[in-house]
Amino acid sequence: MSDGKMLDIAHISFLDMIKVMITMSGAASAKGTLIRNAISTAESIHETDYATFEDFLAAIENSTNPITQVEGKASHQGEFVFGLAACPFAPSIGNYMQVFEKLPDGYADFTAEFNKPSKVTEMYRVGEGAGVSPFCSVHQPMRSAIADKIKIGGKKIKIYQLGCKAGSGKKGFADRWIEETGVSRDIVDKTLDNHMCCYLLKIEE
Amino acid sequence: MSKNDELKKILIVDDEEDMIWSLQKNLKSERLKVVVLTASSGEEALEVLKNNTISLVVTDIKMPGISGLDLLIEIKNRYPYTSVIIMTAFPSNEYKKEAILRGSLHFIEKPFDINQLRDMIAYALKEDNLFKGTVAGVGLTDVIQIKCLSRVTSALRVKEDDKIGIIYFQDGRIIHAICKEMEGEEAFYSILNFKGGMLDSLNVSDMPGQTINKPVEALLMEWARRSDEANNQEEETELEQLAPGFGRVADQNINSGGTNQSATGTANVTEEDDMAELKDVLTEFTNIPGVNTACLVGRDGFLLDSIAISGIDTEMIGAIASSGFGASESMGRQLEKGQMSMSMIEYAGGPVMLSPIGDEAFLVIVAEKEANLGMIRLKIKKHAKQIAETAAI
Repeated sequence: MSDGKMLDIAHISFLDMIKVMITMSGAASAKGTLIRNAISTAESIHETDYATFEDFLAAIENSTNPITQVEGKASHQGEFVFGLAACPFAPSIGNYMQVFEKLPDGYADFTAEFNKPSKVTEMYRVGEGAGVSPFCSVHQPMRSAIADKIKIGGKKIKIYQLGCKAGSGKKGFADRWIEETGVSRDIVDKTLDNHMCCYLLKIEE
Repeated sequence: MSKNDELKKILIVDDEEDMIWSLQKNLKSERLKVVVLTASSGEEALEVLKNNTISLVVTDIKMPGISGLDLLIEIKNRYPYTSVIIMTAFPSNEYKKEAILRGSLHFIEKPFDINQLRDMIAYALKEDNLFKGTVAGVGLTDVIQIKCLSRVTSALRVKEDDKIGIIYFQDGRIIHAICKEMEGEEAFYSILNFKGGMLDSLNVSDMPGQTINKPVEALLMEWARRSDEANNQEEETELEQLAPGFGRVADQNINSGGTNQSATGTANVTEEDDMAELKDVLTEFTNIPGVNTACLVGRDGFLLDSIAISGIDTEMIGAIASSGFGASESMGRQLEKGQMSMSMIEYAGGPVMLSPIGDEAFLVIVAEKEANLGMIRLKIKKHAKQIAETAAI
């Protein structure tokens, strides 16, 4: 650790805890634990029913939207595609990188594990290439699980994770969900040019 | 009767005249009162044995003509109660193992101190004073347990036709076994599989290194489990021959629905069919008496399918088992033990078995104490591939 760089113990502990989990019980088990943790958090969010989609957007602007409360303000790009400017884990990653200059060992395995098709990626329509770090396995299922608690005009909503961008600038695309939703890959790509996360909100019929 | 007739006779066999001369001259002592006969070859030794009652043969191993090992075989065949000490200038574990299997439990490496050989001869002759013979109708496991209970230090030679195995006891603990090329536990289990034959209890002057560390109860239980498993395998093979398709309920269901993709090459197996097939295979496990729950779990701990008795939260079991399964795999990696094939956790109420299915999932089998573990293992081996294919994992 270089002199003069402050270490936020909460951030460091969390990132290193993931590393230890990977070492102790493997990337798949560690991924499952983080996802269950995220779902557990989502379950404690109260149910909300917005009268219209505009009300949903307004709740993002005034930060009363449950999704906004956990990830910050997303911006609507049109056609129900959203872009999130800042990754909620960016401060943790930034603090760790500032001190240790690279992310812990095992993170690449974890991320690859999250991108594999699985029951949970299917259930929450996440991963499948849209994971760029282990934190995506917390963030993406949590957002989808919170969305399960939200209705618009009495109808359920679903979130499809379309893409994500790492701090290095590398983009990850969930081609399966892009194809399934019919959203153009170009739109996802352009959204990721100036956002870290891209997803689609679908109001069920 | 002359005094010499009362003394025990030992026979020295060596092709080196100097060695014979030296031993003949130096062996007798106040403590060791024996008549020493000599032979300079294996052939000559057999002649001496034919005409004398020899208690002990001390033979070199490398001789022209009949070697020491061949002489040992002849002695054990013709004079089973004659002890043999092998002398060798070429210490080799292979020779030693071969000689032990052929019936000699005493070795001395040339050059040796004459007192060392005297001690060994005295020890071997003491063995000659013990009861010898056969006891019919006694089970091998009974003899083993008696030896353990008696806290003896000795060896038990077990012979069935041309198969020979030796089990070594030290203070009542089984510490080593040899049988054919096998050593340790595998040799022990192999000896227990002998169907009958002869038992010899032998004193050992030179105990081998320890290769078995389990208590006798654990060894006998493991042997029983292996036998159980082998018997089940045989039964299943017989049943399979008698009724092809036994135990493949899932295959039968698909066939009856006419959607067997491999058979037609064109029909589609629907997701519902797969789910039904998966349930059928899991039922194969819960049909084993004492097995009440079978879960297929993704490695991330999310439940893929299950059959469970009421009261078991299979979602939670899957999540918890994922850590245990992952930890077992990580430990194997750390110890460089290779791929994990099964992990069993024994609880007071019965075992839980975890076994990998494909690369992405594992099976959790929850059983009662009395469940047939061999059958569970067998079913896992039999169905693992089918489950992986059906669940597309």
